[in-house]
Amino acid sequence: MNDTWVVELAFAAMILGTPLIFATIGEIMTERSGILNLGVQGMMLVGAVSAFWATYNTENLLLGLIAGLLAGAALSVIHAFTSVTLRVNQIVSGLALTIFGTGLASFLGQAGSDPLVGNPSPVVFEPIFTGGIADWPIVGPLLFGHDLMVYVAWAVAGLASYYLFRTKMGLALRAVGEDPASAESAGINVSAVRYAYVMVGGALAGVGGAYYSLKIVPTWQDDPIGEAGWIAIALVILASWRPWRAVFAAYLFGAAERVQFTLQTLGEPWSNIPSTILAMTPFVLAIIAMIVLTSGKRARFLGAPAALGIPYFREQR
Amino acid sequence: MSTRRFIIEPRGLASPWLKLLVPIGSVLAALVVGAIFLALTGENPFSVYSHMVDAAFGTSRSIAETLLTATPLILTGVAAAIAFKMLVWNIGGEGQFIFGAIFAAGIAIWLGDGAPAYIALPLVVIAGGVGGAFWASIAAVPRVYLGTNEIITTLMLNFIALNFMNYLIFGSNSPWRDPEVATFPEGRPIPDATRLPEFFERLDYGIFIAIALAILAWYLLGKTRWGFQVRIVGDSADTARYAGIGVPSKILGVFLLSGAYAGFAGGLFVAGPVGALDPRSLALGLGFTGIIVAALARLNPLAIIPVAVLMGALINAGPSLQSIGVPTATVTMLQGAILIFAVAGEFLIQNRIRRPEKAPKAAPSSGEEASPA
Amino acid sequence: MVDAAKNETLAVELRNIDKAFYGVKANSEVDFQLRRGEVHALLGENGAGKSTLCSILAGLYRPDSGEMFFEGEPANFKTPKDALAAGVGMVYQHFRLVANLTVAENLALGHPDVGIRLDQSELHKDAVQLGETYGLGVDPSARIWQLSVGEQQRVEILKLLYRNAKVLILDEPTAVLTPQEAQALFKTMRQMAEEGRSVIFVSHKLHEVKQVSDRVTVLRGGKTVGGVDTADAEPRDLARMMVGRDLELPTRDVGAPPGEAVLSVTDLRVQSDRGLEAVAGMTFDVRAGEVVGISGVSGNGQRELAYGLVGLRNPTSGTVILGGNDVTSASVLQHIKQGIAYVPQSRLGMGLAPGLTTEENLALKAFRDPPYSKSGRLVQSAFRDEGAREVEQYDIRGVRPGLPIRLLSGGNLQKALVAREVELKPIVLIARSPTRGLDVGATEAVRNLILAERERGAGVLLISEDLDELLALSDRLLVIYEGEIVGRMPVEDATAERLGLLMAGQREEASA
Repeated sequence: MNDTWVVELAFAAMILGTPLIFATIGEIMTERSGILNLGVQGMMLVGAVSAFWATYNTENLLLGLIAGLLAGAALSVIHAFTSVTLRVNQIVSGLALTIFGTGLASFLGQAGSDPLVGNPSPVVFEPIFTGGIADWPIVGPLLFGHDLMVYVAWAVAGLASYYLFRTKMGLALRAVGEDPASAESAGINVSAVRYAYVMVGGALAGVGGAYYSLKIVPTWQDDPIGEAGWIAIALVILASWRPWRAVFAAYLFGAAERVQFTLQTLGEPWSNIPSTILAMTPFVLAIIAMIVLTSGKRARFLGAPAALGIPYFREQR
Repeated sequence: MSTRRFIIEPRGLASPWLKLLVPIGSVLAALVVGAIFLALTGENPFSVYSHMVDAAFGTSRSIAETLLTATPLILTGVAAAIAFKMLVWNIGGEGQFIFGAIFAAGIAIWLGDGAPAYIALPLVVIAGGVGGAFWASIAAVPRVYLGTNEIITTLMLNFIALNFMNYLIFGSNSPWRDPEVATFPEGRPIPDATRLPEFFERLDYGIFIAIALAILAWYLLGKTRWGFQVRIVGDSADTARYAGIGVPSKILGVFLLSGAYAGFAGGLFVAGPVGALDPRSLALGLGFTGIIVAALARLNPLAIIPVAVLMGALINAGPSLQSIGVPTATVTMLQGAILIFAVAGEFLIQNRIRRPEKAPKAAPSSGEEASPA
Repeated sequence: MVDAAKNETLAVELRNIDKAFYGVKANSEVDFQLRRGEVHALLGENGAGKSTLCSILAGLYRPDSGEMFFEGEPANFKTPKDALAAGVGMVYQHFRLVANLTVAENLALGHPDVGIRLDQSELHKDAVQLGETYGLGVDPSARIWQLSVGEQQRVEILKLLYRNAKVLILDEPTAVLTPQEAQALFKTMRQMAEEGRSVIFVSHKLHEVKQVSDRVTVLRGGKTVGGVDTADAEPRDLARMMVGRDLELPTRDVGAPPGEAVLSVTDLRVQSDRGLEAVAGMTFDVRAGEVVGISGVSGNGQRELAYGLVGLRNPTSGTVILGGNDVTSASVLQHIKQGIAYVPQSRLGMGLAPGLTTEENLALKAFRDPPYSKSGRLVQSAFRDEGAREVEQYDIRGVRPGLPIRLLSGGNLQKALVAREVELKPIVLIARSPTRGLDVGATEAVRNLILAERERGAGVLLISEDLDELLALSDRLLVIYEGEIVGRMPVEDATAERLGLLMAGQREEASA
């Protein structure tokens, strides 16, 4: 029962979707403060290489996670500085950090006398429960058969959702992303809020990257995450900037990534669907969602924070 | 009134020196950052950099390669510049480049060996522009008529285009695919009549077409009635409306033109060094690199030409690093760092920092009524 | 500190308050006393200093000198947050509400007493309760953008009450309300006063002031001109205090008698940004060779009138005939081609392109035709030569090649703007507040340009709040109030009192 292609696909989808959950929720928090961070791809990559390096040298997964988190946050500080303090173009700043982060991750992986490239990680994230509940039909592997990070991702989603909609700080965050001038009038420090959540986004992106290098592709290589960072940016829109929807969207795209393999095992005619067309789907869906969700009445309920991407100049009242 | 140690305020008019200093400073600052990382991993930055200069300009062959790489960068740079100047955030140059390549290769294959070069070549180049404009229109139309933010749509279209190109060659038996190669899918070579002739090592006439197109862009924006209206819209849409200018059509026009230029880059690249719709040779990130070129050249089409050459040099120096054991990713790192410093440096051009004065100031230079009463 | 008449502590007292911006005094030696439990009206024209005074009270600005006392204690508000903490809050003309959040969320935003966990049901209960108590009912779960403007204003007031504000400042609150909503607001204000709170009510409408306030303070030119009990105040006295000294009519050439009507406006109706009717059926003519001045306090439909006349907004009904052609729903470009010129109030925001050079701006409307362009190509020499000629002729100073025009001083910006418009040799010139904020020299230059147009035979429509400017230039005056023309008179018949009353909404028995 547990090795039907459905269960197998769902299981893989949850694993592949987990780093997307982290990165997407991170970017949701950033964008909720009004800052657009196109540097997610770069932050995930530096997170991946830092986590790998740390775990490679210490054989400790937790240190790897922390390293990934810090690396992503560190890169994001640059974006916060250019976007919030200098108030220059957020789009170009984000793209620059992706380019830089991509180069840096690759560089660090290849550099030195004993480069990381090609080496497997000594430790990877393993499922917590082996046997027992994990063997129950369907529910077993899907709910209990995963490693720690899958569950951490759920916790992050729950926490983010609660924080955003049921706490005072979350309210302040949402206000800053919608109307920074009014938020400032209500006594909120817009700059501080934006710095904080850009860094939260970077940190979560770093954690997402760490999951790639410590679980999904645990041998360091030059392109460990594919287009995950860009997909995360698309997922933010598909999730209407809500954390729980990000989980489902991420699992959906984890499935899309995995389904190529599944289709092969199913044989004709399924195996004939080109992987390239499948790979397009998150991006096509994101465009459709952008057009549908951001025009008309729907937009006010499901759309982007109103001040997204617009630099805030405090003097203007 | 809060007291601060220094005040940041908008600068009136930046001197030409500053406008030149910031781009140069950006490159130098990036080189410093790169040097730090190189040193941290045990390399000697100076020898690495000199090796790179040598690789880019050392022999006539390398100069040709540098200029060859600069050719599409001139065009993707101009594509980004004309859009950004209008505050149209077209970051889809990558996808528009690819569709320019697809259309150009398509027309070339369709024309076959029959057509003479003087008909075929212009058609191929134009097809490139059409392809890029077509791909841009998918984002442009929702932007103009629905107000859909073009940042996400153009970004997503890049990846759709990449996957589509892969589909044409790897995922199907499309006309773009070489029927003669059975083992590993390849792009079908385009007929000789549709190839740009080389004249200096591998450098082909595409570079002249690119320079001419850049000058054309400069002319269109600066010297025509249409360009004047576009500049007004980019400066202040309200003023444009007040002056009777139709704003949506100008935005649409600029967006499509930007796409066309990226498409020209793809078309010239296919008709030039690549000679087929070959995904591996075309997915080089030239669209994104064009943004770096545009930012460094401060969105000036003429300045883009030398900056593109510089960027071409940087890119070409990359592979040579392998021979001295330095990661080729150094180039990407430097590119990213240059862009960060270039965009941050823009802050210095727009603002200046000074110490606050004690006495209240006299009427500001604008002389406008300042009292908000 | 103690109000002599009532022998109890004043809610707020300002003594000798000065506030200047870039050398221009917005408030000068202002004394102000607010009693507990009163509705106190602040009356004055635009630019009189009302908003500045209120902003100082609300903690937005710090006074340059003078003292402020709140409930008898010295008060030194550094930020609006301080003021609010002390109990002073303001409802601004531009609301500070986050459109996409709910009413309850807006009430909770930044509130010091709200806990970390947002208890939605509790917030809702509080909102409903407050709403019922004060007649400010709103649905707490509605998003702000779903509410009408009147309802949004209620939320702004609820915000202050939720923080237990003891002094509430309302800046021109009825500007966005229907008459019924205004009445409901007055009821709420009186109720708050009865509780012992104090309300400062900024307005320029005499009938409202008479209806709802206990006392009135009039501001003019940054100074307090008088503080009286409303019951004792006569409208004509208030109007005179608002407008000031007797206006002297400058001597001016009478000129040739005006010719045919070049602009005929019939029953024009134009909507405001929010969809309300801002121009409510205006009918008037402008004849060739005359200047018609429209006076009124800003916010009574002037902007929408101008937009409706030049094609920037389509009127909902009525007609506009320009030089014999019906241009009612024509495009902006068609309006320009038919011969209308417009000097907008916003120089760098609309009239000029701030980043372009002076010569480019001077060609902003004429560039489509020779000499500026030939077959789609710009003729640079025409830009240069025409630009140089106009700079010289109109004495525009500070121009350098390649310099963005925004770096010019206000006077030169306006000279360039007006120069460009008169160079079009229009049939009708519409100008809004053309000499606002200009120094003496520039003011005179611009006035002369307008008079020259009148000489030339153009019809000039001058929309302004500056009575001196209107009297200096107009042949006839119309007074606009709430989107209608409430007074018409030849300039000789204009007096401060008469204009003041009309601008403040007091109708005359027989209108011209």
